[in-house]
Amino acid sequence: MLFHTWTFLLFFAVTIAGFWVLRPTRFWLHWILLASVVFYGWWHPYYLLLVFYSTALDYFIVGWMERETRLAKPGWRMVASFAVFVGSVLIGLLVPAGWGGLAMAVVFFAVVLAVGHWRRSRRCWLVVSVINNLSVLVFFKYAAFAIENLNALLAQVGASLLPSAEALMPPGWEYMLPVGISFYTFQSMSYTIDFYRGNIAREPSFVRFATFVTFFPQLVAGPIERAKTLLPQFSKRPRVTVADICEGVSLFLVGLFKKVSLANYLGLYVDRIYSEAATQGGAALALATFAFGWQIYFDFSGYTDMARGVARCMGFRLMLNFRNPYLAVSLADFWSRWHISLSTWFRDYLYIPLGGNRVGSLKFCRNLLITFIVSGLWHGGAWTFLIWGVLHGLGLIVNRALEQVGWWRDGCPCLLKRLGVFVFVCFAWVFFRAESLGQAVEILQRIFTMGWVDPQMPLLLLLLVVSVWVYQFIYESPLRAWLEKMPIKVALTVAMILWLLLFAPGAGEPFIYFQF
Amino acid sequence: MKDETRQSISDSVAVHLSARQWLCVIGLSLGLAWLLPVVWTAFEVFEPVPHYRVPYELSNDYWLYERWLDQLPSEAIPVVGDSVVWGEYTAHDGTLSRFLGDSTGEPFANAGLNGLYPLALWGLIDHHGGALVNRRVLLHCNLLWMSDSEADMQVKKEQVFNHPALVPQFALRIPCYRADTDTRLGRVLERQLEPLNWVRHLQQTYFGQKSAPEWTLADNGQFPPTFQNTYRLPIGMRGVPLSSESPSAKRGLTSERHKPWSADSRGPVNMEWVTPESSLQWQAFRRLAKRLQGRGSDLLVVVGPLNEHMMNDETRVKYVGFRAAVTDWLKAEEIRFVVPRVLPSTEFADASHPLTEGYERLANRLAAEPVFRAWLGEQKRL
Repeated sequence: MLFHTWTFLLFFAVTIAGFWVLRPTRFWLHWILLASVVFYGWWHPYYLLLVFYSTALDYFIVGWMERETRLAKPGWRMVASFAVFVGSVLIGLLVPAGWGGLAMAVVFFAVVLAVGHWRRSRRCWLVVSVINNLSVLVFFKYAAFAIENLNALLAQVGASLLPSAEALMPPGWEYMLPVGISFYTFQSMSYTIDFYRGNIAREPSFVRFATFVTFFPQLVAGPIERAKTLLPQFSKRPRVTVADICEGVSLFLVGLFKKVSLANYLGLYVDRIYSEAATQGGAALALATFAFGWQIYFDFSGYTDMARGVARCMGFRLMLNFRNPYLAVSLADFWSRWHISLSTWFRDYLYIPLGGNRVGSLKFCRNLLITFIVSGLWHGGAWTFLIWGVLHGLGLIVNRALEQVGWWRDGCPCLLKRLGVFVFVCFAWVFFRAESLGQAVEILQRIFTMGWVDPQMPLLLLLLVVSVWVYQFIYESPLRAWLEKMPIKVALTVAMILWLLLFAPGAGEPFIYFQF
Repeated sequence: MKDETRQSISDSVAVHLSARQWLCVIGLSLGLAWLLPVVWTAFEVFEPVPHYRVPYELSNDYWLYERWLDQLPSEAIPVVGDSVVWGEYTAHDGTLSRFLGDSTGEPFANAGLNGLYPLALWGLIDHHGGALVNRRVLLHCNLLWMSDSEADMQVKKEQVFNHPALVPQFALRIPCYRADTDTRLGRVLERQLEPLNWVRHLQQTYFGQKSAPEWTLADNGQFPPTFQNTYRLPIGMRGVPLSSESPSAKRGLTSERHKPWSADSRGPVNMEWVTPESSLQWQAFRRLAKRLQGRGSDLLVVVGPLNEHMMNDETRVKYVGFRAAVTDWLKAEEIRFVVPRVLPSTEFADASHPLTEGYERLANRLAAEPVFRAWLGEQKRL
């Protein structure tokens, strides 16, 4: 169920009506959970099994963790657990098609849980949770990529090939990536890690915890919320004011406009150019790459705006995920504005535990590269995502070095810096958007070597994007007060509504980030 | 990486409106959305030529169809039906309504649309035929749609067909119609909301049946493609002429298609025919007739004629049986009807569409029918 569809509108109307009726009772939370289950199950009912597994696992593990007081070092038993994990995955991959794959997965999870009970330490439970969550994620997201590359290696040495990931599914079950698995897995994991660190208390109610993991506005594409900010909102009856509804509707409309009018339109142009990349001129490929940069921004931030708007209409506040990222003056600034919930997740649970920037230069570079390689791979199992992550990691290292140079820091015009960041980010998007590493390289080659051919970018599209960019510039300038004037705001909103009515292209296009 | 996890709404680019401002926006938006089609009607020239029919390119423009019916003079008699009424092989002045006008001296109007079938016709009249109230309506019943389960839309395999927006989306289960819930909901809303209907008109007429953004990216369909609209803006577009058809080599006396069906050496064919009890198309036709009656229309149903020369003996027997069931129902509902004699084989272009001379003969025969004359006589008296 996509936010920008009539089905969602109907679903939300029913959900909000039920929510209002049940709000004075203690069943409002159950209602939201039910709505979330329906919302997620709408894609495919079997997705529900996975999200339920992830939810139940972390709920119970934190319960067991609370009972254990020892903060033991992992020691050799954890090494043994890891060996069991690797062994089970290998066995799972090698068994013949049929139920073997599922059986191995069940055995593996049972063994890991047994190890947890045997060790009875908080740290052990944390590792058990992380292994469990990541195993599900790895299987559904990376198994095909890993097997394909392993088979390529095995073929080199003449060894027998591993079965495909599809063969590991039970008969009649399709191997497909569950929508939003990376988002809810990370959200659920953050709860366990935060509890382990003593940042939050255990959530005693399963219904409340399940609602936290599956909360439908942000379930499939974030923002990845933290337990300490979202769970307390489910602990008390939400207070919904007129201002909440106004803000919610405002956010939803802006998100809808970004998605339907801008992202979908840009997507039409990008798809046309990238689908025939081998025959396109350099200017068309460069423009399509810039267009993709805008497309993915409007698509993802549009989704986030709508998610925040929907939640706000029910009195819940979700975190800001984008803050005009293409106005960033440095790459570090860009990452404080782009997909904020994910970048802060990696900062808190990976970058800082690795040592962050309070280490020597070499270790800092290592930490940054590891964080961004993982961040790249978080988007999917493909070499293109890995390269994208490496590029951003390297870019940040260069960025830090540049910040040490006086002229760059104080003398370089802001506009130039902004353009530099935008061009670099778009350059990296080539790897993100391309079908394969080969295509990405070919696109870059053609951008720099092909002569001028009319890129045929529609004038209307160009005007739209330039208008939005100008709007963002004004928004971050002293002229912002002018945009806050009532007639301007009303006129802009009416213009958005009329544009949606008159010019919206194919409304049913899915969001790009659903595939992650 | 700075901690930006709890920004207030004002840090995003959201347009932030208060309740009062939202009321202004809702009022303005609704007003404009409903006003624009009205204003548009005043500025868009639509002066139908004699023997007008909705142009082929605009067959999916139901807003124009509605406008055409609204503009019909009160004395005009709309002839409602599918492509047999519209005139698949003929020019706009070679259709049944034109020759009926010639035979009777009465102003018959072509209210057919290309690509219709009873399930879609029911939807068209139900949602866009509001002008057909308290007036005489000549309704054509094309039994070809019941001649096999595929035409009757009973096959379970998904099929692509014309006018999907007109078929029942939720009220009736059509096995071969597999649109998802969202598409169906969108189609229901489009029927109900005038501004959405008008936007479809703009897309049909000015943007080559696409949305404006898609139109700016459209190619000319050739290889290598050229993109003729890249540097054009949607404002000031000259669209498909509304008031008359563009000349077409596919229709009319001089067209290659305008020839008897037997010219292609096709022999009789077997048609399975569905039963009247199970037929979805017949069910839709009955509902359509009842709907028109319910609006106070005085109906005359013309059943057929089909090209019986194209049927083998077995098929003809089944056809006659089905036709009898149809006439029995019409009698039971006290709806007047005419079953014209079959036309000569050379006057059919295919299984159901007459050629120009066939329409002329059919109109003359209808005009000579006592039931038709009586119905028309009452019309004159009214």
